[in-house]
Amino acid sequence: MNAPSPALVAQRPERLRLVGQRRQLLAVMHQRLMFGMVVYAGIVVLIALRILYLAAFGDHAGRKEGVSALIPSRGDIVDRNGDPLARTIDAWTIAVHPNKVIGDKLELARRLAQLMPEQSEEQYFALLRSDKTFAYLRRRASPALVEAVNAIGEPGLAIEREPDRLYPQTSLAAHVLGYTDIDGHGVAGMERAFDEHLSNPATRGDPLVLSIDSRVQQALEHELMSAMAKFSAIGAAGVVMDVHTGEVLAMTSLPEINPNAPGAATPDARFNRATQGVYELGSTFKPFTVAMAMDSGVIKSFGQQYNCPNALPAYGHIIHDTHPFGRICTVAEIMEESSNIGTAQIADQLGKERQKYWLGKMGFLGPVPIELKERSRALTPGSRWGPFETMTIGFGQGIAVAPLQLAMGYATLFNGGVYHPPTLLKIDRSHPLPPGKRVFSEDTSYKMRALLRLVVMKGTGRKADAPGYRVGGKTGTAQKLINGRYSQTINITSFAGVFPMDDPRYVIIAMLDEPKATKDTYGFTTAGWNVAPVVSGTISRIAPMLGVQPDMNREPDMSQVLPFVQNAKQDTKKD
Amino acid sequence: MSARSFRSVFMVASCATAALGCYLVSLRVASERAALEDVESRIVLAQRDMRVLQTEIGTRGRLSQLERWNAGAFALSAPAADQFLKGSFELARLAQPEHKVDFQAPVVLAAAPALARTPSLGAPDTDDSGTSPSALLHEASLKTETREVPARRVATLPLAIAKSTEKSATAAKSAKSLSAEKPGLAAAHSAAPRLAEQSKTPAKISPKKSVDKAAVVTAKPLTKKVEVAKVDPLAPLPAKHSGNSKETTAKR
Repeated sequence: MNAPSPALVAQRPERLRLVGQRRQLLAVMHQRLMFGMVVYAGIVVLIALRILYLAAFGDHAGRKEGVSALIPSRGDIVDRNGDPLARTIDAWTIAVHPNKVIGDKLELARRLAQLMPEQSEEQYFALLRSDKTFAYLRRRASPALVEAVNAIGEPGLAIEREPDRLYPQTSLAAHVLGYTDIDGHGVAGMERAFDEHLSNPATRGDPLVLSIDSRVQQALEHELMSAMAKFSAIGAAGVVMDVHTGEVLAMTSLPEINPNAPGAATPDARFNRATQGVYELGSTFKPFTVAMAMDSGVIKSFGQQYNCPNALPAYGHIIHDTHPFGRICTVAEIMEESSNIGTAQIADQLGKERQKYWLGKMGFLGPVPIELKERSRALTPGSRWGPFETMTIGFGQGIAVAPLQLAMGYATLFNGGVYHPPTLLKIDRSHPLPPGKRVFSEDTSYKMRALLRLVVMKGTGRKADAPGYRVGGKTGTAQKLINGRYSQTINITSFAGVFPMDDPRYVIIAMLDEPKATKDTYGFTTAGWNVAPVVSGTISRIAPMLGVQPDMNREPDMSQVLPFVQNAKQDTKKD
Repeated sequence: MSARSFRSVFMVASCATAALGCYLVSLRVASERAALEDVESRIVLAQRDMRVLQTEIGTRGRLSQLERWNAGAFALSAPAADQFLKGSFELARLAQPEHKVDFQAPVVLAAAPALARTPSLGAPDTDDSGTSPSALLHEASLKTETREVPARRVATLPLAIAKSTEKSATAAKSAKSLSAEKPGLAAAHSAAPRLAEQSKTPAKISPKKSVDKAAVVTAKPLTKKVEVAKVDPLAPLPAKHSGNSKETTAKR
């Protein structure tokens, strides 16, 4: 670096200085080298550590993500026995990317029109020539169609799988289950009510267990459907409920819908008559009036007598019976022959305030207490609730309730008098039975058994009897309110049954909307003729499934009522 | 010397070996884990397939479809209340064998008037002229029977009939029919000589011939007498007596 100097003497101080400089330089260089080395070593160590870490704890390259557990994209819905009612499957979807089509578009349009004739050849061609980037051709395509479309071999056609909701039992319990929209969000029924639960990744792995028993549901639907066809009714509804827990074992509304194709259903079919529809259910209300009167001390025994003339003038109106007694009759007879006049007098004695109190306690004045969003609230006279309305409500006119509420009321009356809100979820460890609240006394509940058994044994509900199953119940024929007037010919018939009556376990409600008379019914459209056989048929099918042993030798304690009934009259034609 | 100088080499080598060993263990673990994951993913795939198949079967065999078959094709309906049984006793009652009343019913009728003579059977020797067959019978049965004479005789009846060949059965029938036509003492009298002849021969032969045959032959006269003896209470208990009758036949 320095030029060789001629004078050696003068070199020393320079050299000294040079050495010092070199030293400094060397030191700096060493430092830099050290620094570089440390950095490199650090990186190497980091890499080595990472490799070691990966070797010890890391995943290997071939690991498949997301298959460690089978979690459907939307939770299943199963019935109380675990049978699937709604599932998500991978369905085939056929779509097209018009801008990626490389073949002859006219030929492709022709082929597509052959395979999927819902659109014409021209429409397909217009779609292919448009500047769209993507269009669905068919969602939920059948495997055969997918194969045929795939065989066309056009790269612009996209065949994909996407999750799709399937209801294996088709229309079974459709109004309970509801359905989803094309994006998989519930828009009706339990799909809607539990949308969050079913779509949340944390909870959708476990199926939603309903209280519905699909066999019971099928039996009820079948019997109601055949009755509906037989009597040309415009609609029907049915409920089967466990009286001790409030679990709904079956709930149906007809006409039915197919949740696999909800778009095809009419608005009338989508309407859930069991929870959304409120009806004046007529005489099925009478047992409540009698029970209220018994609990309040108005009725001391079933032998208590009332004057039952042919027509009863009351508060400026006249109350009629379809088949009047025209004499003094007992409470047992009033119930057996379903006398409006008798029940109206009991209700009058009971009074408005007590009636309101009991109805409120039974949950008849509020909305239908159920998980479904499709529910309504009972219609009451409201501010017009006077003494005459008290009488009409006593025999079931002037108050409109949903069939499910009626089932709830009967469950309360016959399980010992304790109210449990109805539920569509199975009562088990994850969903324990909420504490009930007492409505009627146990004694009243016990005595009412015999009264309702009497109606089926000797009264208007004889056709509802299923031999051996000790059915008790009450018929109800209500005139339909059309344009503000009660129609004399168009009825809503219902039957509320409880079985087995010696130890009530299940309540069953069946209702027919506008049944017509047939030859078999001798021209009658009352409940004893058209809807009572539905109850009989359903009970004889479902009772063995529900573990109710038929026994021809068991009956509830009939000594409470039988002494107070005159057997002279045998008439089933009225309610 | 050499060991000391190569010490560092050994150290490095042993470290390298240890590191390699560790790495191999880790590699092994990783590969095991990979295999496990593979199995797990196959399980999940199999579960998915099962789910798909279950869904398909459930959809094809949906309840409304089954209902259509049950109600339409097979015309099934719900069982009636009397089709349920409460326990094994009721079930066993259904399986109770039918007793052969067609053989015994006329016998009872025919024997009803002859009831008066039954005590005479107990004392065979003191019989009148008309009871010669019964006397013969008693000779045959006295060896075995001590007390329940009539019961045992009746006991032999069903077995004897069952075991006997068609011939003997018809013979027995003819004897019965005779007795049936002429009820009471008259029947006994008329049948007596024939029966006496028949019963005499087997009495002689019986020790020589096989047990079964002897029983069969003796049964012929027995049937009638026995019927006469025991009127009604024995008829509904064939099972109990089959055991007894075997004993008696064996003894004879």
